Amino acid sequence: MHVPHLLSVVTLGPIAVAAVLALIPARLERLHRWLALLASVVSFAVSCLIWTGFNPNLPGFQLDSGPIPWIPQLGVSYHLGVDGISLLLVLLTTLLVPVVVLGSWRSVTEHVKGFHICLLLLTSGMLGAFLSLDLFLFYVFWELMLIPMYFIIGVWGGPRRIYAAVKFFIYTMVGSVLMLVAILYLAWFNHQLTGVWSFAYAEFLKTGPQLAMGTSFFSSPQMLVFAAFALAFAIKVPMFPFHTWLPDAHVEAPTGGSIILAGVLLKLGTYGFLRFNRAMLPQAWEAFAPMIMVLAVIGIIYGAWVAMVQPDMKKLVAYSSVSHLGFVMLGLAAGTAASTQGAVLQMVNHGISTGALFLLVGMTYERRHTRMIADYGGIAAIVPVFTGAFLLVTLSSIGLPGLNGFVGEFLILAGAWQQHPLAVIFGALGIVFGAVYMLWMVQRVFWNPLSNEENRSLKDMNLREVLAVAPLLVFIVWIGIHPTTFLSPMEAAVRLLLGR
Amino acid sequence: MPTHSDLLALLPELILTLSAAALLLIEAFLPAMRRYASELSLLAIAGAAWARLSLPLPGASWHGMLQLDAVASFVDIYILVAMALTVWMAGPFLRRNHAEHGEFYALLMLAAVGAMIMACSTDLLPLFLGLELLSIPLYVLNAFFRRVPVSLEAGLKYFVVGAFAAAFMAYGIALLYGATGTTDLLQMGPVLAVAGVTSPLVAVGLSMVIGSLAFKLAIFPFHGWAPDVYQGGPTPVTAFLSVVPKGAALVVLLRLAQGLDLFHLNNHWVWAAGIMAVASQTLGNIVAIVQRDIKRMLAYSGIAHMGYALVGVIVAGSDGSSAVLFYLAAYTFMNIGAFAVVALLSEGESEPHLISDLAGQGWKRPVLSLALTVCMFSLAGVPPFVGFAAKFLVFRSAVNQGLIWLAVLGVVNSLISAFYYLRVVYVLYMRPLPRREPDYPRSRTITAVAAVAALAVVVLGTLPTPLLAAARSAARMLVR
Repeated sequence: MHVPHLLSVVTLGPIAVAAVLALIPARLERLHRWLALLASVVSFAVSCLIWTGFNPNLPGFQLDSGPIPWIPQLGVSYHLGVDGISLLLVLLTTLLVPVVVLGSWRSVTEHVKGFHICLLLLTSGMLGAFLSLDLFLFYVFWELMLIPMYFIIGVWGGPRRIYAAVKFFIYTMVGSVLMLVAILYLAWFNHQLTGVWSFAYAEFLKTGPQLAMGTSFFSSPQMLVFAAFALAFAIKVPMFPFHTWLPDAHVEAPTGGSIILAGVLLKLGTYGFLRFNRAMLPQAWEAFAPMIMVLAVIGIIYGAWVAMVQPDMKKLVAYSSVSHLGFVMLGLAAGTAASTQGAVLQMVNHGISTGALFLLVGMTYERRHTRMIADYGGIAAIVPVFTGAFLLVTLSSIGLPGLNGFVGEFLILAGAWQQHPLAVIFGALGIVFGAVYMLWMVQRVFWNPLSNEENRSLKDMNLREVLAVAPLLVFIVWIGIHPTTFLSPMEAAVRLLLGR
Repeated sequence: MPTHSDLLALLPELILTLSAAALLLIEAFLPAMRRYASELSLLAIAGAAWARLSLPLPGASWHGMLQLDAVASFVDIYILVAMALTVWMAGPFLRRNHAEHGEFYALLMLAAVGAMIMACSTDLLPLFLGLELLSIPLYVLNAFFRRVPVSLEAGLKYFVVGAFAAAFMAYGIALLYGATGTTDLLQMGPVLAVAGVTSPLVAVGLSMVIGSLAFKLAIFPFHGWAPDVYQGGPTPVTAFLSVVPKGAALVVLLRLAQGLDLFHLNNHWVWAAGIMAVASQTLGNIVAIVQRDIKRMLAYSGIAHMGYALVGVIVAGSDGSSAVLFYLAAYTFMNIGAFAVVALLSEGESEPHLISDLAGQGWKRPVLSLALTVCMFSLAGVPPFVGFAAKFLVFRSAVNQGLIWLAVLGVVNSLISAFYYLRVVYVLYMRPLPRREPDYPRSRTITAVAAVAALAVVVLGTLPTPLLAAARSAARMLVR
């Protein structure tokens, strides 16, 4: 079925719905919730439509909207397109948004209207950033995510929310302003070579590699442009040592905010590395890859170690993200087809597993208003359904064969093994640590003797909560059992991007 | 003797001047009509805008002293829009403060005429006249609330500093005349191209003229007056003051830079102006962080913003000039929008306008707070607002000219600025209402001004093409 402008519908639709919500009085809270849920489910349906219409054999961009002049004087155009890589991330994003709406049904009780407006604007920002084929447009969407996320953390967050929100905003902006200069420089360079003003990704793909490499870092335009992009993305990922904003943001953000943050926003960093640094600036990538790999490995180990000692479940999951994203960066830095595919799949896996973990931790918090591991213990018998779901997600997160995490990690490590055995060994150590901290947490929360009498009256998941987490569980098993469904659409795109 | 066409060329200015006179007469003889002063002024502004847009632009007129080209037209419209927004919000504002006098509008109009004359002068003498006509009404307007000490202080400070700047300008003009034998910028250019600007007479003269313009722009190191004047003046006057004189002075700088080929003739000027620009940005942004009064904060933010705009002046050419013109328009909307909100979210003019007093208003006054939020994010240069487009154009022109250092320092400064703009937003939405809820006035009119300005910020930010096209065709006239 061919529907024109499908990508524009999925990208700009949420903004339109947000505008509708803005007109509805704030006291109709249920209406806001239901409309947001409806809109997010529809957008997931639309992205499934994109998926079914997607031809996995074509490496290039599909459903191309074609460049629509936006600011013609500067050569800026509105241009969306989807390839196998962004397809998966779009699916992930639209999958998580309804989960967030459902997960926030009870936990967000103040300013319900504002929350959903922010969430929908955020959705548009994320989808637009994944789908943009014009760097100006990309930058606009990239920054568009910033404002709603700032509000979500700052208004609906925990006690230290303002500190966390400002830190999030400033850190992200530190990266992105230099990226802006780099984009401007690329446009100027493109104009020098072709005589045309353009911010089109396709143009930069051709002219970016022609940037001089120079002899040293500061005399090398390509390295400098690379560094500017890399800083923006490294902060977003976040790569060690740029990760310090993440635990604060995660711990203070409301459940829904954490799900989006971990599930999608971090992926924009790794996606950016792949889409822009890797594809547009290949020589500089070669030069930087060893450094990225070292930082990735440090991130894997460091994130795991710090996660291990966290007394707070949410903080533990937050640090586990640093570790897991280290795997993704390792896969990208290794640069083989297998490791890159593994990295892209791992982005999706991490989004689903960590999103689910944040959702489940949020459910415990709603019941007991504490996230401290020590406050729980032995609740497996009291909340069996919840325990089952949590266990499945945990196993997915630590990479049990048959579940999604295994496939991604295996592809990354197998793809990197030939050229970078040392990195793989350290990475595999990270998997072991991952199993340790996750299983240890599960043991302390669910199995140890029931030490706290208050936990005896815990309620198990209700229908809404089951509905929120179920789609994630489905994908966890599906990707684990039949990864080809998800690997085949991106295979051609990854090969094209890697240039082989 | 001015010819018929000379008079026609200045029709908008004439309309405003005559309306100002009429308002003064009404004030004297028909005090009952005073209630309609704001509406009458809006009518006059609309008439002036109509005249400017519908009459053909004659180019050089008044013996070549005035250049009524696309640039002048662009700036005139910009001044008229800024004035319309000011006048629109002034009505309820003056009523609330029991200061409803027709003189307010008359003075505002005369100031606007001065700014418009400045914008079209290519000769230093009408430039000086315009500058004075702009400044003197503003001295009075700043002290308009004569029973409020801070207002009087603002007026006096602005007067002393302004008189100083005017003296600078006059002395600079004299020196330039002595060195080149002309006050006409278009003739001065070729003379200087032959003689060079190395002669001390020219260098000192130019520095004084530029310094005096920098006073009006509140660019480092001539910025000292801005915070006190902003803080003390009546808020609509501050809104006007924060955009109109700056627009006029920037256009004069553009004409100066183009006419004398300033940033080509001598690279020292690029460095000097570049350092002024960066220093303005840095000082403005860093000092703004510690401000507790929102009007003072906006003063420092204005110092920083003129630093960004100056980058475009330095780049010059059609790229830089169009970026500056675009910046002016963008800055007008976001700044006036912010001041309109400030005018409503304070208990009285003699009270300080503390940022912390905005606590919790985000949920109580949603339209007003949203407008302020939009303006704040736009001032911080976050897309999709017009402030981003403006900064983008300025930095783009700098990168294209190879002045990457100016672009990098500019974006780093934008980053610093995000800190204090964000604080306003967080106080609005993330702090609870105080127990003793402040009793802020309500006014549909002023809310409408804020909403219109915020809407313009969003629309011009997402669809900048028409404004950019106008700025570009104007800039092309400048570069010729």
